[in-house]
Amino acid sequence: MNFSAETRAAGNTAAAKRSYNLQRFLDGWALFYENPVGKLGVFLLVCFGAMALISYIPPLIDPMYHPMTGVDPSISNATGPSAKHWLGTDNLGRDLFTQLLTGARIAFMVGISAAFMSIVFGTLIGMIAGYAGRVTDAALMRFADMIMVMPSLLVVLLLASLFGQLNIWIIVLLIALFRWPGVSRVIRSQTLSLKQRPFIDMARVAGASHMRIIFRHILPNVLPMACLYMTFRVTSAIIVEAALAFLGFGDPNTVSWGMMLQWVWKTGHMFQAPYWLLPPGICISLITLSFYLIGRAMEEVLDPRLRKEENF
Amino acid sequence: MHFRKLIFRRIIEVMAIFFLILTGLFLLFHLSPGDPVSRMVQPGMSAEDASMLISQLGLDQPLWLQYLYYVKNFFTGNFGISFHYGQPVIHIIGRRLPNTILLFTTSVILSAAAGVFWGKLVAWYKGRPIDTWVTILALVCHTLFLPWIALLFIWIFAYHVGWFPLNGMITPEVWIDPSTGFLAKAADIGHHMLLPLLTLFIIHVGSYLLIMRSSMLETLKEDYILTARAKGLSEKRVRNRHAAPNAYLPVVTSIGLSLAFSINGGALTETVFSWPGIGRELIFAVSNNDYPLALACFLFISLVVLVANVIVDVLYAYLDPRIRY
Amino acid sequence: MRFFPKLFVSSLIFMAAAMVLLWPPASGYAAESTLRVGIAEEPRTLNVWMATDANSNKILSLIYQPLYTEHPETLELTPWLAKAMPEWDADTNTYTMELREAKWSDGSPVTAEDVVFTVNTIKSFKVPKYHSEWAFVEKAEAVDKQTVRFYLEEPRATFLTRSLINYVMPKKQWAPIVKQAKEKEKPLGALLNARLEKPLGCGPFVLERWQEGNFVYLTKNPHFFGRGQTIQGHQLGPYVDAVLFKVYGTADVAILSLKKGDIDFLWWSVQPGYLEDLEENRNIRVMINEKSALYYMGFNVRKKPFSDPALRRAAAVIIDRDFIVKRVLQGHGARMDSIVPSENRFWCAPNMPEYGRGLNREERIKKAWKMLAEAGYSWKQPPVDENGGVVSPSTIVRPDGNQMEKFTILTPPADYDPNRATCGILIQEWLKELGIPASARPMSFGALLETVKKNHDFDAFILGYGRLALDPDYLRSFFHSDNDKPGGWNMSGYDNPEFDKLAEASIAEMDTKKRRKLLYQMQEMIMEDVPYIPLYNPAAIEAVDTRTFSGWVPMVEGIGNIWSFCSVRPQ
Repeated sequence: MNFSAETRAAGNTAAAKRSYNLQRFLDGWALFYENPVGKLGVFLLVCFGAMALISYIPPLIDPMYHPMTGVDPSISNATGPSAKHWLGTDNLGRDLFTQLLTGARIAFMVGISAAFMSIVFGTLIGMIAGYAGRVTDAALMRFADMIMVMPSLLVVLLLASLFGQLNIWIIVLLIALFRWPGVSRVIRSQTLSLKQRPFIDMARVAGASHMRIIFRHILPNVLPMACLYMTFRVTSAIIVEAALAFLGFGDPNTVSWGMMLQWVWKTGHMFQAPYWLLPPGICISLITLSFYLIGRAMEEVLDPRLRKEENF
Repeated sequence: MHFRKLIFRRIIEVMAIFFLILTGLFLLFHLSPGDPVSRMVQPGMSAEDASMLISQLGLDQPLWLQYLYYVKNFFTGNFGISFHYGQPVIHIIGRRLPNTILLFTTSVILSAAAGVFWGKLVAWYKGRPIDTWVTILALVCHTLFLPWIALLFIWIFAYHVGWFPLNGMITPEVWIDPSTGFLAKAADIGHHMLLPLLTLFIIHVGSYLLIMRSSMLETLKEDYILTARAKGLSEKRVRNRHAAPNAYLPVVTSIGLSLAFSINGGALTETVFSWPGIGRELIFAVSNNDYPLALACFLFISLVVLVANVIVDVLYAYLDPRIRY
Repeated sequence: MRFFPKLFVSSLIFMAAAMVLLWPPASGYAAESTLRVGIAEEPRTLNVWMATDANSNKILSLIYQPLYTEHPETLELTPWLAKAMPEWDADTNTYTMELREAKWSDGSPVTAEDVVFTVNTIKSFKVPKYHSEWAFVEKAEAVDKQTVRFYLEEPRATFLTRSLINYVMPKKQWAPIVKQAKEKEKPLGALLNARLEKPLGCGPFVLERWQEGNFVYLTKNPHFFGRGQTIQGHQLGPYVDAVLFKVYGTADVAILSLKKGDIDFLWWSVQPGYLEDLEENRNIRVMINEKSALYYMGFNVRKKPFSDPALRRAAAVIIDRDFIVKRVLQGHGARMDSIVPSENRFWCAPNMPEYGRGLNREERIKKAWKMLAEAGYSWKQPPVDENGGVVSPSTIVRPDGNQMEKFTILTPPADYDPNRATCGILIQEWLKELGIPASARPMSFGALLETVKKNHDFDAFILGYGRLALDPDYLRSFFHSDNDKPGGWNMSGYDNPEFDKLAEASIAEMDTKKRRKLLYQMQEMIMEDVPYIPLYNPAAIEAVDTRTFSGWVPMVEGIGNIWSFCSVRPQ
C-alpha cells in the first residue's frame, strides 16, 4: 500500500508532524540563503528594518529631530549635510535624516499591512472560487478580472477624492482592495489541483464540512504560495503609496518617502537640493528591489523547476 | 473559424467587464458621503443652469432611472459639464485622449519589443556574465520610482544637457509660424515625446525582459530544441525559429496583465512632463473635485486598457497555433 | 553587436536624421519682438463675463480696458479710458465723465454707447461676477457720444474704487450675442458660454491664436488709444510686437525655462525655495513686491466652543506668526495684525492687539494658558506646572465641565497651496501644546469652499484671498450679520449688531477721512473678537530675464500690470 507523505504524517504523532514541517522549512531556508539574490534581498531588508527601528531614537535625543514638527532653531531654510544634520534640513529647518528613517517605518507599515490584507482577501476568494467551482468560480473570477483591469493608482485616487479621507489606514485598505486579484488567480489554480488529491476525498468521506476542508486542509498547502505573492504585493503597495503621496494625496500627518519627494518638488527645491531629492527616491527603489529579490529567491525555493541547473 | 469566434467572445467579455466598471462607478458615486447632485452639478452654478443640467442628466429621478440615464448618456457622449473648464466634458476628453494613446501605445510597443528581443538573447547566454549583468540591470530598472526618475531625467537631459525640451507636447514658436509644414510639426511632437518615452521605456523594459528570459529558459529545456540542434541547425536559427516563438506566449499574456500598471506609469509620466493626456487630466480633475471630468477620464482610461487587452489577446491567439486550428 | 541588431540601429539613425533635417529653426517664427510669458495654468475661458480665474484675467486685461485704473505708485484712481476724474452731483446722485478718443481693434470708435451697453448687460443678465458692483446703479446714460452719466440709487463709497475699474465691452460685437442669448431657455448660460474667435478690444494687444492647453498668442493692436500717449508720467507703447503666453504645468519647469531663456517673464508666484538659485543667475532679476492679500484662519463662531472669544484669543496668541513668515514663507512676506494688510497703508488701522508678538514658545504657552484659565478652562495636567515649567498637557476641559472634543481645521491640499497646508499642520501642533485637540485636514479646494461657505458645516478653516481690493469694503462682506447665509461671504457666522451699524455707516460715507475712521473702528472690533485670525500676507515674487526686455513697472501685486505691458522695451 502506498501511502502519501501526508497520510503518513497524519498517522504519526503531532510532534512528528511538527518536526517534518520544520525540516521542510529549514531545507527551504538553506536553499533560499544559498542564492545570492536572496542574500542581497535579505541584507537590504535588514538595513531598512534597522532604519525603521532606529527612527524612534532621534526625537528622544533632541526635540528638534522630530520629523514632522521639530525645527532647528538656528536654521530656517534648506541646507546641505552637516555634523548636526547628516542629510541636511528641509525648507522649514527639519532634519532630513530623521524624515528618511521615519519613511522606512511608514514604508514597512504600509507595505506589509496592505500586502497582508490583500493576501487575506485574495487567498480567501481564490480558495472559495477553486473549491466551489462552476458558477461561483466563474463569477468570482470575472470580478477579479474587472478589478485587475483597473489601474490601481488611479482608482485609489478617485476613491480618495470621493470619500474625502486621506488617513493612512484608509489608503492602505484601498490599496489592498485593488491588489488581490493577482493572488487569487494563483491560489485558485492551486486549489483546483489540490481538490483532486486523495486526501481531500478522504476528508470528505470522513464527514468533514466544506469549511473545515478549506481551512484545515487546503489553506496550509496554499500558504507558501500566498506568502510568496505577499512579497510582490508589498512592492506594489509601497509604490502606490509613494505615488499617491508624491501627487499630494497622501496623509499629511505621515512622513513617508513619497511625501518627502512631494515636499521637495512643491517647495521648489527639486533642482537645488540633491541631498533632499536623491535619498527618498533611492530608498523607495531599493526597498522595492529588496522585496522583489526576496520574492524571486523564494520563488526558486518553492518552485523546484526554477532552481539553478548545471546545464540544459 | 475558431480564431474569429475567439476574438468575438473576447470582445463580448471585455464589453461585459466595462459595463461592470461603469455600473460600479455609478454605485460608488451614489454611495459615497455627500450630496450626489453636487457631484455632477457644480455648486455655485446659477439656478437655471443647474436645473437644466439636472434634468439632462436625470438627477432628479429615482435611482434605477438615473442609472438608465447614466448609461444612455455615456453612449451618447454626454458626460455633463466640467466644473473647472466650464465646457462639456466630452470636448476635453476628445482633445486629450489622442495624446495619451500616442504616448501609451508607442511606449508599450517599444518596451515590449525591446524587452522580448533582449530577453531572448540573454536567456541564450544564460550563466555568462552578460546574463547576470543584464538581469541585475533589468531588476534595478524595474524597481526605480517612476516620478523620481522622470524628474532626474528632466534635470539632466532637458536642463543641463539641453537635448530635449523641458515639458509639454509642442513648441509654441513652431506652431505659430504659418509656414511650418505637417512634417515639421510631427517632428516637434516627436521631439517632445522622446523623454517621456525614454522614462516609460526604462521602467517597463526590465519586466518584459525578465519574463521573456524565464519563458525562454523554460522553452529551451524542451525536447524539440535538442532535436533541432541534433539536426545540425545553426544556433541562431534554433534560437529564433524554434525556441523564441514558443517563448513569446507567456510574455504576451504578461503584457496584457501589466497594461493597467503601465497606464498608472503613464499617468505619472504625463503629470511630471506636462504631457496633455487623459491621465494627467484625471489627476487634475481629482484635485479640483471636478467629478464629471474625473469620472469620464477614468472611464476612458479603463476603455483604453480594455481595448489594449483585446488587442493583446488577439495577438496571443494569432501567435498560438493551438488556438488557431 | 548581437544586442543591437542592424535593423534597430538603422531605424534609430533614420529617426535621428529625420529630426535633424526637419528641425524647425530654433527661434521659430516670431514677430520682431515677442514677449514670452510663462503662466501656471491655461486660461479657463476668454469670455469676460465668465472669467473668474487669475490666468484668464491676465490675458483679458491686455485685450479689454476699464474706464479707470490704479496708479502704479500711489494706487489712486487714474483716468484710463475716461479723460478725467468723474464729476459728482450730490443733488441728482450722479457721476458724469468724458471718454478719451479711443478705437476698438477694428478701427471703430469707443463711444458712450459701449459703456451703457456694458452696464445694461450686467444688470439685465445679473452677471454673477459684476452684478454686486452695479446693483445700486439705477442706470447709465449716454449724454453724448463721448460723455457718460451714471445714476446711483443711493450713495455708495465703492462705486469709484470697485465699479469703475470694470472693463468696457464693445456693443458692436456683443449685441447680437446678447440678443440671441435672451431668446434661449437659459440666457445667462448662453452669454457665459459664448466663444469669440476674434474678440474686439481696445487694449494694447489683440488675440491672435489660442492653442488650448499650450499657448495663447497676442499681437499688438495698432488702434490702442494709449499708443504714444503719456499718462501719469508713463510713456505708453506698447513697444513689443507680440505677447506669447506659454502654459506650464509645474513651477520648476517654468523656472528652468526662464533660466534656459525660453521665456522672458515668469508671471507666477515663485516659491521662496527657488529664490537662492534665481538670484545667483546673473541674467535673471527677481522682482519682489508687496501684495494685498490675506491668508487667515477662520472659526465657526456659531458653534461651541468656538463661540467663546477667549478661546479664539488664546489661539491667536499661541499661533506663532513670525515663525510662519520666517520659515514657511522664507521671510518673503509680512505678518498680519489686522484683516487689512499693513501694506495697505491708508486703510490699515494702527495699534492693533499684539497677541504674542515677539514672544518665544514658552512665553506664548504661558500667556495663552493664563488667558484660558481666567476664562474658566481647566486641565487635569495643565500646560504649565507648579514650578512654572512648560509640560505636555492633558486635554483641555471647557468651562461647562466637558472635555473639549476633537475638531478639524480644514485646509486646501498641499499641491494646491503648500503654504496653507503646512500652516494647518503647524497650527494643529501649536494648539495641541495647550491641550486643544485640533487636527488639520486637507480637503480639495472646491469641496472646502462648499463646506465652509454653503453648508457652514465645519469647525475651523484656513483660507485666503490672493488679491484683496484696495478698498476694504470686504470687512463689511466678511463680518456683517446679513451675509451669514448659505453662499454668503460671512463664513464664520460673526454676529455683532454694533459692528453691523458701523459697517452700514461706512458704505454710505462719501467723505474718505470720515470713512477711514469708521473702518479703523471696525478693524479694532474684529481684532478684539478674532473670528478670523489673520496669518500672513505673502510677497509677490516674480522673475524676469534681463537680457531681453526691460522697463517693468513694479506695483502692488507684482510687475504683471497694464503699465508694464505698455512700457517694456526690447533690449
